[in-house]
Amino acid sequence: MTRIGWKLGILLAVLFLAGCGERLELEQQAFVVAIGLDKGEKGNLIKVTFQISNPQVNTSQAAESQTEPPADIVTITAPDLLAAKELAQSSLSRKITFSHLETIIIGEELAKDELFNNVIGSAIIDPEMRREAMMIISKEPAQDFIHANKPTMETRPHKYYAFMEGNWEHTGYVPLSNLNTFYQRTDDELFLAAYASAQSEPEEHEDDDTYLAGEVPQASGDPVQMIGSAILQRGRMVGTLNGEETRFSLLLRRKNLIESMTASFPDPTKEEYRLSVVFSRTENSKIRIDTDRSPAKIDVTVPLKMRINSNLSLQDFTQNKDQQKKLVKSVEERLEKKSDELIEKLQEEYKGEPFVWYAAARKNFWTMKQFEDYGWDRQFAEADVDINFVIEIESFGEQIRPPTLEKDEG
Amino acid sequence: MSDFLKRLFSGNSAEDKSSLGKVPDDPFSERLDDNVKQLEELFLYPTNDTLKVRALNIPSINRSAKVLFIAGAADTDMINDHIIRPLLASQPAEEGNEPSVDGIKDNILTVSGSETIADFREAVRRLINGNTVILIDGEKTAIAADTAGFETRSVAEPTREIVIKGPNHAFVEAVDVNKSLIRRQLKDHRLVSETVSVGNESPQNVSVLYLDNIADKALVRNVKDRLEKVDKDAILTLAALEELIEERPYSLFPSTMTTERPDRASSFLLEGHVVLLMDNSPDALIAPITFWSLFHTAEDQFLRWAYGNFARIMRLIALFIALLVPAAYLAVITFHPEMIPTDLLLAIAGTRERVPFPSLLELLLLEITFEILREAGVRVPTPLGTTIGIVGALILGQAAVQANLVSPLLVVVIAITGLSNFALPEVGLSVMVRILRFGFLIAAHLLGFVGIALAFAALLAYAASIKSFGVPFFSPLSPHFPSSRDLFMRPVLRKQQLRPQSMSPQEDQRAEPEGGGGS
Repeated sequence: MTRIGWKLGILLAVLFLAGCGERLELEQQAFVVAIGLDKGEKGNLIKVTFQISNPQVNTSQAAESQTEPPADIVTITAPDLLAAKELAQSSLSRKITFSHLETIIIGEELAKDELFNNVIGSAIIDPEMRREAMMIISKEPAQDFIHANKPTMETRPHKYYAFMEGNWEHTGYVPLSNLNTFYQRTDDELFLAAYASAQSEPEEHEDDDTYLAGEVPQASGDPVQMIGSAILQRGRMVGTLNGEETRFSLLLRRKNLIESMTASFPDPTKEEYRLSVVFSRTENSKIRIDTDRSPAKIDVTVPLKMRINSNLSLQDFTQNKDQQKKLVKSVEERLEKKSDELIEKLQEEYKGEPFVWYAAARKNFWTMKQFEDYGWDRQFAEADVDINFVIEIESFGEQIRPPTLEKDEG
Repeated sequence: MSDFLKRLFSGNSAEDKSSLGKVPDDPFSERLDDNVKQLEELFLYPTNDTLKVRALNIPSINRSAKVLFIAGAADTDMINDHIIRPLLASQPAEEGNEPSVDGIKDNILTVSGSETIADFREAVRRLINGNTVILIDGEKTAIAADTAGFETRSVAEPTREIVIKGPNHAFVEAVDVNKSLIRRQLKDHRLVSETVSVGNESPQNVSVLYLDNIADKALVRNVKDRLEKVDKDAILTLAALEELIEERPYSLFPSTMTTERPDRASSFLLEGHVVLLMDNSPDALIAPITFWSLFHTAEDQFLRWAYGNFARIMRLIALFIALLVPAAYLAVITFHPEMIPTDLLLAIAGTRERVPFPSLLELLLLEITFEILREAGVRVPTPLGTTIGIVGALILGQAAVQANLVSPLLVVVIAITGLSNFALPEVGLSVMVRILRFGFLIAAHLLGFVGIALAFAALLAYAASIKSFGVPFFSPLSPHFPSSRDLFMRPVLRKQQLRPQSMSPQEDQRAEPEGGGGS
């Protein structure tokens, strides 16, 4: 009995003490909230910038240390991300952990390089890496981007990124681009990553959403702008889409991702004024793809609900059915024209689509092999695409009618 | 351990060590003085002044007699009014027509519950139980009249099982009062009250109550057998008895429970449980029990369906919080920091920077402080009681935080755990959870959430395997038996027709057939 007891005891000790190595107190860890990846100066080296949150700033009153900065930023040049993580330990007292890493910023230069696919592909080997981490491509080197980004409202950097990344749901200016979806689309199909910049080169556009990050006419505040998207194909950046194009590429997907978005259009009744509307989509788009004919035929119907937000021309749409019809027709035509332009651009320049239409096309084939032989992206480049927007006016704003200024005196 | 158990339960029951056994079994003699002298010797008179003797002459038979009783055990007013006065007032009878001892007992004494006795052992037994013994000169029998008048307090409100809505009677130390409280709830002629005597040196009567038409006969026999097997010189309270009759005295899981509410005891009786009552114990012992008996309160059934179930959901949440939250906290911050929001993580990490101890020690420090405070709160005299309590714990916690001994979030964790623990209705369950919490802490310290999961699996497996008086602990949920599903939630009263079949009741349905079937 005692002999078995000994063995049992040892077995249990092995079982229970096995976990002790993994145990680490919170204050012994350095929580990286954002990393930036850039091309190194030499060979295949990369520069990795770690932004490490300081738990003693703005977290809890008992821990407040007012003179310290909210985050520590360290840049290490190393062959890959994990080597950099290890090497950073030479200057950091605490153990670096990626368990709260939700933002990965990649400099455009690295994103366009051959090396990028390998760098990001090997990063996922680290089990601490979160697949829902957002991928942002920055116009300038990621190191500069992280240093330049000093938002006033969110002192702690993770909060800033969390809010900015949540914004896309309400604006559609940037796509949802996490690591998980990136790894799903590393072939001919296009992956859209959020595009950001901390360098301002303001331009002024007639349309409210045709900007690319950095171009938005902004006078003061945080220099970082996040609008538009970087197009990645075969794990490399090949081009950019501006805010408007990014919105269309989100709208043309089967499933809706955006809660609502605001856009402005020229008023069909008085061309000199613009009309600002809010779109929302509650139903899925209908995508019909005919792969039997050549070139393939793609029919997309996008149902949209529209709410009039501001009405500079002060036209009364509420009581005039004809005006409403005219408005709907003009908006539909404009949306269709814009999306046709986008598709033409994609077909000619990139020969791929970011709309996840391949999922709809795949249904037409019995086996995966047949679909692969078909070569969807090649076929898409030639396909006839017919896009239809079906718009329904949901409301005319809080105040049903615009004010009637002329009649006031009478 | 088994040796200890053997020693605990063996004893030498063959040899009658009872103090009453040492009293000579002699019959009374015809001489009054001899009888009195013998009784005085048995009660160590005159060293011991407890035995009171009142001499008198009974006119009806014109003989001298002595009335004996024990001060404190018998009610002197009752003896005056119902024994001495009628005896003295009896009319002298005609010659040759004098009443016998039975005649005096039946026709002169105005006290109910009198019997004739013939030997000293019985006389001593009657006297110590508060009876009055009347010895008559020239008679070989004596009269024992029931004049028990032990001091008792009046029926008060429950102190442990408090309800907002519902009856507010609680058991008291007098078993007769307790029985009357149960009978008042349960007006059924089949409510059986059997008496079993336990304790060798100073025997106490234990009343075994059950409903003859419902309770499983085998269960009743089982309980009585265990009572008879108890071999101790004296058992003063039900709490001591509880430990002697339960199956697993070392287990954290209780196999009996006590209640101080007559309504609760009655509802257990109606489900086929056995209720034990004992003099001097202001509660009733219920056997067998299941997890549900520990988890439910009387109020669940008094409140309306939705309100009662809401309380149960809260209690279930409280159970899990009390059991697992400190362990989960420890697991999260030492093994799985990715599980909590970044803000919270940074807040904890920030406050922990200046704490000199590892998280486990920090947790144990505060947890033990809280347990000490709770223990102190129970023992502290009432006038000081208000200064201690949760407030005291929190102030202490606050000071500990300022001294950087613990982090502030931990005070919240411990406070919510302690509070949840107070929400658990049964003292057995509550203490069990308090102890198990430390087990979970160690498991979390060793293996994180994996450890908690393993410990919880082991706990559930053990709990599902044990039985209380033959009834599985989680029945009728697991193993499944037909019941009215009054488990985590309760159905509306109209649907609570079926008694839990795990109790093997003789009658399955609660509803009596139309027109009151009777037996």
